[in-house]
Amino acid sequence: MITPVDDFLAAAVRTATPLALAALGECITERGGVINIGLEGAIICGALAATIAAGTVGGPLGVTAGFTAGALAGVVVTLLFALFTVYLRADQIITGTAITLLSLGFTGLVYKTVYGTTGVGLTIPTIGDVPIPGLSQLPLVGRALFAQPVITYALYAIVPFLAWWFVRTHAGLALRATGESPDAALAAGIQPRTVQALAVLAGGAFAGVAGATLVLAQSGTFVEGMSAGKGFIAIAIVVLGRWTPLGVAGAALLFGGASALQYLFQSLGWREVPYQLFLALPYVLTLLVLARASARSQAPAALARRQLTVG
Amino acid sequence: MAFGAIALAAAAAACGGEQTAATSDALRVALLTPGPISDQAWNGGAYEGLMAIRDSLGANVSHIQTKTPAEFEENFRQYGAQGYRMVVGHGFEFQDAAARVAPDYPGTIFICTSGDMLGPNLSGMNFAFEEASFQAGMIAARLSTSGVIGAIAGTELPPVRASFTAFERGAKLIRPDIRLLVAYLGTWDDVAAGKEQALALIARGADVVFQNADAAGLGIFAAAKEKNVLTFGANADQNEIAPDHIVGSIVINWPRVMLTVAREVQDSAYRGTLYQFGMRRNMVSLVLNPRFESRIPADLRAQVDSVGTAIVEGRFHDMDDILQPADRPARQNAP
Repeated sequence: MITPVDDFLAAAVRTATPLALAALGECITERGGVINIGLEGAIICGALAATIAAGTVGGPLGVTAGFTAGALAGVVVTLLFALFTVYLRADQIITGTAITLLSLGFTGLVYKTVYGTTGVGLTIPTIGDVPIPGLSQLPLVGRALFAQPVITYALYAIVPFLAWWFVRTHAGLALRATGESPDAALAAGIQPRTVQALAVLAGGAFAGVAGATLVLAQSGTFVEGMSAGKGFIAIAIVVLGRWTPLGVAGAALLFGGASALQYLFQSLGWREVPYQLFLALPYVLTLLVLARASARSQAPAALARRQLTVG
Repeated sequence: MAFGAIALAAAAAACGGEQTAATSDALRVALLTPGPISDQAWNGGAYEGLMAIRDSLGANVSHIQTKTPAEFEENFRQYGAQGYRMVVGHGFEFQDAAARVAPDYPGTIFICTSGDMLGPNLSGMNFAFEEASFQAGMIAARLSTSGVIGAIAGTELPPVRASFTAFERGAKLIRPDIRLLVAYLGTWDDVAAGKEQALALIARGADVVFQNADAAGLGIFAAAKEKNVLTFGANADQNEIAPDHIVGSIVINWPRVMLTVAREVQDSAYRGTLYQFGMRRNMVSLVLNPRFESRIPADLRAQVDSVGTAIVEGRFHDMDDILQPADRPARQNAP
């Protein structure tokens, strides 16, 4: 028996999955002291690359090819961002905005070139839900957490791994040191530029996979501009999650839940309530939580700084 | 320098501006779409119409995809300044900008699809989408086993709302106790949102989902396929996108619609009237998916056809309050 609550929770996890992927990547980038506003661009490029790769290869193998291509596309786009911000020390906000605009236009151009003006319809192979025997039968959270596409399950491993990696590994420490005090990192023998570049590229790969998820695990098609602001929401989720993997995962789930609540409310057919109120719900909730949480900020000290080291 | 190059490339790519050359003194027609022309619906259809103008009238055509409402007026002005004879703003949302710009470029004729404003060089193009929506509602009510049907659109534009009202009336004519659930996405591009909203309606029992969501509608089709429920195409013949789940499409005959207006402009026969396109001139119609013809009972089919005939003959009055009659004076454009 599937209850409305089951549907709501499953929708929350589904909506949260691409957001969590993109936000975890951005979390890595920001812990290294770089804010990548071009996340939206990496998502849409990942979505298009996944579409083309999965459509070309086809079948179950096509999905794997799609996710790989998505990650690669995210890396390629953020390579441009890394070049300008990490090595040429250009303003991160302006560069990121340019990357997003460039990507939205560029993907439209490539899409029309590859598929013509008629588009692809619903022809891209998708990964279905894979219910985990036993676990998916659990009351309340069973279906929501354990009857999802494989990419959602990957998150269950990535989140604790990243949390461990940030705190317990030398590389994680180097990343955080670069984001807090590049001078101190340099003094400790760390190459801040290399660390930042790698952090940016890792973020790009995650964002590309988020874009691939939109196509391969959800819609089965590409549409120009289908990232629809998810990159910017992911950046807000990083702040909401206080720059920790667990916090980011929780914040993504909160946002996914608010979106799912919005879908549920509209489907209840309360015509007297303006639908715009429901549509605003995820954003209002985010603002409320942010207002409560921002009392003590924990942003990396060197975030978005143009001059990397004083020395 | 490098930034300038990026910004330029971005602007050029984002606009997707394409020009097709014809003879130098040929008719010049421009189209502004609010979304990508690859949506296989509203925007793609208008582009098809633009191509028909190019091919049939030898016109010089240009298309641009606008990103934000702030760009509407700017793009109208650009085309006006370049001396385009006809500029089409594709959607209700364009008409305020067109009304502001039109007096400044008297040599250019501004057309707004789904608009109802008029001026010496400004016309609305009104589609009686409601007529075919009413018929779709009749079919939806019969094909629904749950007694719950849904309708999803991008945003609550007046023509969209009227179409949903017609859909509901058509459904209630066949099954008075039918329940319609309406939802709006707040976006026309977010495929994932379209799918999630459709899944939410389906979870509430809707087994036929009507839609008017352009590119996001593809997400609604994806949900219909996944949950094996029925849906309808809108604005273009979308039957082939999900052939086992799309019962039929409400098709606007874009080449015919756009050519009708462009011919008037070319022949200097344009008189600043409100264009009314509906079933009567076979401009808008419900095109059934051949795979569903056998699933629609003969008596229902006869009923749907008789409504269609009544509409064409002007004997159908169930929608007089929501349809805009052709002879009613439209809203005047304040100078």
